Amino acid sequence: MADKSFNPFAMAQAQFDKVADILNLDTATRDLLRYPMREYHFNIPIRMDDGSFKVFRGFRVQHNDSRGPGKGGIRFHPQETIDTVRALAMWMTWKCAVVDIPLGGSKGGVVCDPHNLSMREQEQICRGWVRQISRDVGPVKDVPAPDVMTNAQHMLWMLDEFEAQHNGKFPGFITGKPVGMGGSLGRTEATGYGVIFTVREALRELGMHPEETTASFQGFGNVSQYAIQLYNQLGGTVICVSCWDQEDQTSYSFRKKDGVNLEELQKISDKFGGIQKNKARDLGYEILPAEAWIEQDVDILVPSAIENQVTAENVTKISKQVKIIAEGANGPTTPEADKIIHERGIFMIPDFLANAGGVTCSYFEQVQSNMNYFWEKDEVLGKLDVKMTAAYLAVSALARKRELYMRDAAYVISVSRVAQACKDRGWV
Amino acid sequence: MISQKNPLENVIDTLKERAKELNCLYSIEEALNDRNLEIEQAFQKVVNAIPPGWQYPDVCEAIVDYRGQRFKTSEFKRTSWMLQSQIKVQEEIVGKIEVFYTEERTPADEGPFLKEERKLIDYIADRLGHYLLHRNIREIFTNIQTVKESISDKEKGEWRIIVDLLRRTDQNLYIRVSRKMMNYLSWHGVDEAQNLMQQSTSSRTGIDSGDEDEVNRPQRKTTMRNIMQISDDIFDIAGKHLTAQEIFSFVQKWIHEDKSSFLIRTLENQHSSLSEISEALTRYQHLAPDGIELSDSTQKAMNVLLIRRFFTDQLEFINIAKNYVTVTDFHDLLRHLVYPMNSQGKLGGKSAGLFLAYKILCRMGERLDLCSDVGLPKTWYISSDGLLNFLHFNNLEEVIEQKYKEIDQVRQEYPHIIQLFKNSQMPSEIIQGLSVVLDDIGDKPIIVRSSSLLEDRLGSAFSGKYKSLFLANRGDKETRMEALLDAIAEVYASTFGPDPIEYRASRGLLDFHEEMGIMIQEVVGKKVGNYFLPAFAGVAFSTNEFRWSPRIKRNDGLIRMVPGLGTRAVDRLSDDYPVLIAPGQPGLRVNITPEDVIRYSPKKIDVIDLEQNTFVTMEYADLVKEVGDSYPALNKIISIAKDHHIQQVLGFVEDFQREDVVVTFDGIVNDGKFLQQVKTILDVLRQKLDTPVDIEFAHDGKKFYLLQCRPQSFSQDSVPVPIPREIPEERIIFSANRYISNGKVPDITHIVYIDPAKYTEVEDLEELRLIGRAVGKLNKVLPKRRFILMGPGRWGSRGDIKLGVSVTYADISNTAVLIEVARKKGNYVPDLSFGTHFFQDLVESSIRYLPLYPDDDGIVFNESFLNRSPNILEELLPEFSQLNEVIKVIDVQKATAGSVLRILLNADLDEGMGVLSAPSETLDIYSAEEYQMVTSSDENWRWRLSMAKKIAAELDAKRFGVKAFYLFGSTKNAIAGPGSDIDVIIHFSGSAKQKKELDLWFEGWSLCLSELNYLRTGYRAENLLDVHYVDDEEVKKKSGFAVKIGAVTDAARPLPLKNQKE
Repeated sequence: MADKSFNPFAMAQAQFDKVADILNLDTATRDLLRYPMREYHFNIPIRMDDGSFKVFRGFRVQHNDSRGPGKGGIRFHPQETIDTVRALAMWMTWKCAVVDIPLGGSKGGVVCDPHNLSMREQEQICRGWVRQISRDVGPVKDVPAPDVMTNAQHMLWMLDEFEAQHNGKFPGFITGKPVGMGGSLGRTEATGYGVIFTVREALRELGMHPEETTASFQGFGNVSQYAIQLYNQLGGTVICVSCWDQEDQTSYSFRKKDGVNLEELQKISDKFGGIQKNKARDLGYEILPAEAWIEQDVDILVPSAIENQVTAENVTKISKQVKIIAEGANGPTTPEADKIIHERGIFMIPDFLANAGGVTCSYFEQVQSNMNYFWEKDEVLGKLDVKMTAAYLAVSALARKRELYMRDAAYVISVSRVAQACKDRGWV
Repeated sequence: MISQKNPLENVIDTLKERAKELNCLYSIEEALNDRNLEIEQAFQKVVNAIPPGWQYPDVCEAIVDYRGQRFKTSEFKRTSWMLQSQIKVQEEIVGKIEVFYTEERTPADEGPFLKEERKLIDYIADRLGHYLLHRNIREIFTNIQTVKESISDKEKGEWRIIVDLLRRTDQNLYIRVSRKMMNYLSWHGVDEAQNLMQQSTSSRTGIDSGDEDEVNRPQRKTTMRNIMQISDDIFDIAGKHLTAQEIFSFVQKWIHEDKSSFLIRTLENQHSSLSEISEALTRYQHLAPDGIELSDSTQKAMNVLLIRRFFTDQLEFINIAKNYVTVTDFHDLLRHLVYPMNSQGKLGGKSAGLFLAYKILCRMGERLDLCSDVGLPKTWYISSDGLLNFLHFNNLEEVIEQKYKEIDQVRQEYPHIIQLFKNSQMPSEIIQGLSVVLDDIGDKPIIVRSSSLLEDRLGSAFSGKYKSLFLANRGDKETRMEALLDAIAEVYASTFGPDPIEYRASRGLLDFHEEMGIMIQEVVGKKVGNYFLPAFAGVAFSTNEFRWSPRIKRNDGLIRMVPGLGTRAVDRLSDDYPVLIAPGQPGLRVNITPEDVIRYSPKKIDVIDLEQNTFVTMEYADLVKEVGDSYPALNKIISIAKDHHIQQVLGFVEDFQREDVVVTFDGIVNDGKFLQQVKTILDVLRQKLDTPVDIEFAHDGKKFYLLQCRPQSFSQDSVPVPIPREIPEERIIFSANRYISNGKVPDITHIVYIDPAKYTEVEDLEELRLIGRAVGKLNKVLPKRRFILMGPGRWGSRGDIKLGVSVTYADISNTAVLIEVARKKGNYVPDLSFGTHFFQDLVESSIRYLPLYPDDDGIVFNESFLNRSPNILEELLPEFSQLNEVIKVIDVQKATAGSVLRILLNADLDEGMGVLSAPSETLDIYSAEEYQMVTSSDENWRWRLSMAKKIAAELDAKRFGVKAFYLFGSTKNAIAGPGSDIDVIIHFSGSAKQKKELDLWFEGWSLCLSELNYLRTGYRAENLLDVHYVDDEEVKKKSGFAVKIGAVTDAARPLPLKNQKE
């Protein structure tokens, strides 16, 4: 029974309905926002390397563009369904709105498994995708980006095809390009810095001084490393970091009570943030079990590894001292755990606010591409600070005013911004 | 203080003398091999070369007397200190060599002369005899050739000129040829010839009529005159019946055959030694350096004899090899062969495989460019009896008994054997040979590899069992020789190492004679900085047993490649990954996202450190930072990772210190030539050898070098397993007929089955995730490699969790097989992942992947077994009991009253099957080798069980405050392997002090057990004793490990303690 199974679009609609109830939205607005504005379904015929032909199924869903051109990734997924793409497009609408950037929500994809395709075939799919939809996307209509199984290379092929179709140079058509080919500086730092910009504001609101705080991080990837860097610059002390150990196929927590040294850890870690256990021990770190990071007596917890890490089982181990949890990863907290955190009154900075630095930087990339003028890194990060701080303040103000949990407040604010734009345009 | 010299100095002294001798012999060979020299010139050169070979060259003079002609050294004079040897040609004395000392010297073996010098002069005389013989024969050939040329367009009958010539120069040959002519004519029904034949036969036997057979009387000798007459008659008859051209070509062919018969005779003689063969081959080569025109059959017969002599008696091998080798090849081979005196050894399997493969490629190279561009590193061989010779020479024969000892004793003694071998001396003729090897190879690094005779036995995968040693080969010749001798001794010693002995015992090969050839091979590569390395190297397989995409066909092959030495590609790595490429489908790469490409790229490299004189493993990135562009073919190997983007390097890298270098081989893949070459080589070898092959190669950036070639079935994963036909359907759990690779997975005790139908019905995302977590827990609880995971769609799907259970590699790392079930949905069958999300991890840890399509025609999928067997999930993981409907955990032995699941895969048939097999039948169906496996693994748990019982019996319950001792886990369940620990639960209720004492007590046991286990199995496992404490409270509540005590399934087993009443 296919309709009985888990449906991501139905789930996204249910989430929206909850917020719509809080906002008391009218039926027309609900109807408009519950479904995408437009959907494109098309065929992409490809001549394969062996000479045979194969037809791939492509999609683009534009959920809402009331606040600006659509923005969203292109997924190459072997069992892509339109409902997944719809749900993700809607999610993009809220994500752009919460940081208040003038972009709407879209998502696209092709049903294919790149593991079964050569690079040439993938290139043909990228070009085929653009050919099919080039009239309905573009720098001022809908801006694609990399997503599952697509990367900078795919973006460049798509850009090239788009420019060939439109007879000109339009770097703002797509984001996720390499630096020097229309990419933006500061992209690597953006998410991690973004997390700490929101943490900094949260501390200020709680009347705490960063230099007097301690934090524990889950994960030592890109996000964590830059977050720790900025947090240290603010004067904070990280006493525990956990990371995945490829050799032992398990995680460990690395603790140094007087503060971990970011540079020394970076020197002994691999490209994926795997810290070498033995070298860390030599440097005086305690090697603790995987979950030790969550039990530390710190003020701030930053889960920035993967989803579903704070669960009903381990949420009880969170120290009484913890005041703030900033979700650097996507969905690190399970709903049950979230409920308990809410009850305990720990201040939660939800993922789609805390890690919105990435999407904000994509927006900057598009802006720079459209101008064909590229900022220095400082400028990118400075503007990021402004955007993130403003976004945070708006959400927390709403949370206080309406006595909402931060996660709900973030949701409410983004839906209301989109609904307002639709209203203002006279759509509903 | 006389003989206080250490063995090495002795060796060197001997070597110096030998070098002198060798130089002398070389100069003589040189003179005699120069075809432009007249006899006189050659002899003069020989005479001049003699004195430097003697002990006192400054007072040494020599003279050669040949049929009255005299050749002497400049200061020649006769004295009474003289050594003499006669020169004979076909038993006729034609001259002599004499060597004089002009002054008196200390008396030695023969006057002042050494016994070695006696040997030397005899050898030279012998050599001159052969030389003269060859010259004579060559003259005959030249004459015939001239006649042939002049005859071709002349009148009939002129063939007589050549026959006359023959008649005058070599009567015996004339008679033999005429005899052949008579046979030929008789077979072709020429009456006169038949008559003549009868006549000659009767005249020979001397019997007029009737019973020609069974004559016991000696035959009367026919006089020579008579025979000559008959011969003349034959040619008269021939002249009438055959054309001049026919007669001429027959005569010529027969003369050739006659002249090569000595080689065949030598080869056919079982007892002829390698040196005799060598001599015969040299003589044969001299006879006709451009090859003698022999009939096909003679040529083949000769090849077969040579192959049998040098390589193997295996018919399959001979059958193929005889078409590709030539006598000249063996002549070359012999020049690179080091062997003991009177050796009758062979070269061993590895050498044979490589030699044949290379010859096939050379032959094909005439038509396929890609094959001709294949190199073979300079290779020398030591014949297989070198090992026994070495043992005899040092009186080490008793080492051979080693193999019949207990394995722990073998292991214990092995280090001593290595030392013993290293301190023993190599026989001098081997040292002489190796001296030449070192001169030939120079100071390039070398690898000393074993080439065991056992290796050419089908199914004996000895790869890696014997040692291969890399030598930097730096320093002066003495140092290099010392290192080489050391390495050879060590490789020899490895024959008596515990691993090969255990392996041989398990395959019933223990009684096979110890014979091990050695290959000394120049390492392919280039000096880069202080290192020596090939640009890249690896292994390639004809058939791909690890397909990561349904588009890859088995025949597309598989390459495992790494930068640097190929050692890291040959072995399965636990800490690194080689790059995998299917040469038939180079576009389909295993890793797609930049993150995966980086994660699964080789990070380390094996090289030879020339400064430290050793083989080292280092970080690839560090090496590149150090040597930069001087690394050969660098931009074919690496890419640069930047901004989530992997860029192929064009031109040169700007800054090696800053860039993020990733080994991708993208340059090679995109360039295409290399992959095409590998594909062609694999295809050619597979076709010609009539079996899929497995090759090792290295590439120096310019050229492809073949290092090894063997049938792929010799490697562990590639044996097709027979699929039994008459198995009752109820015993089949599933069958499969798509994307099958070869192999078998024995003794599965548990099945984890995620019901596809139920999985799709799960609505809640959280519950879907929970299923993944439950699998992760099961992975830790179930016995390693004894359970399989079966689930819908795509395991490890990262995006859409509905498509398959959300797991990472850590959640499945202990499974034996990962099975994806593709159920039809409506009218389409979903694509499977082929394990792509952790493909390389699966490969490196030998976890098999199998896709099932239950809705295909003719496929068995025993859903009722999977659904109706008791589900033990709740007992194992009570916290996941709500998933009971979706996750089925089946204890196969319980569900079937003792059977295990066995998965048989046969890619040749494209069939696979999961069968319930009763353990008793196991032994009947399966080969002895598997039986061995079963019993030896049996031993592991039995030993552990008995040790556990012993420990319990020694444990003083009162003294330590222990209430009970339980055994659980692999030892209790009789599945413990050589590396398993012994899981013990101690019900403890004593004081803290007692606890401390108990800990100490257990630690002592644990250390002892680890050591004992190591001696038994060679596995280094620390903390063999894994003790878990439970207190009264826990026992009461059944929490912690106490849950195992009195559990419904897999309950811990209590063992009696000391001082404890039952």
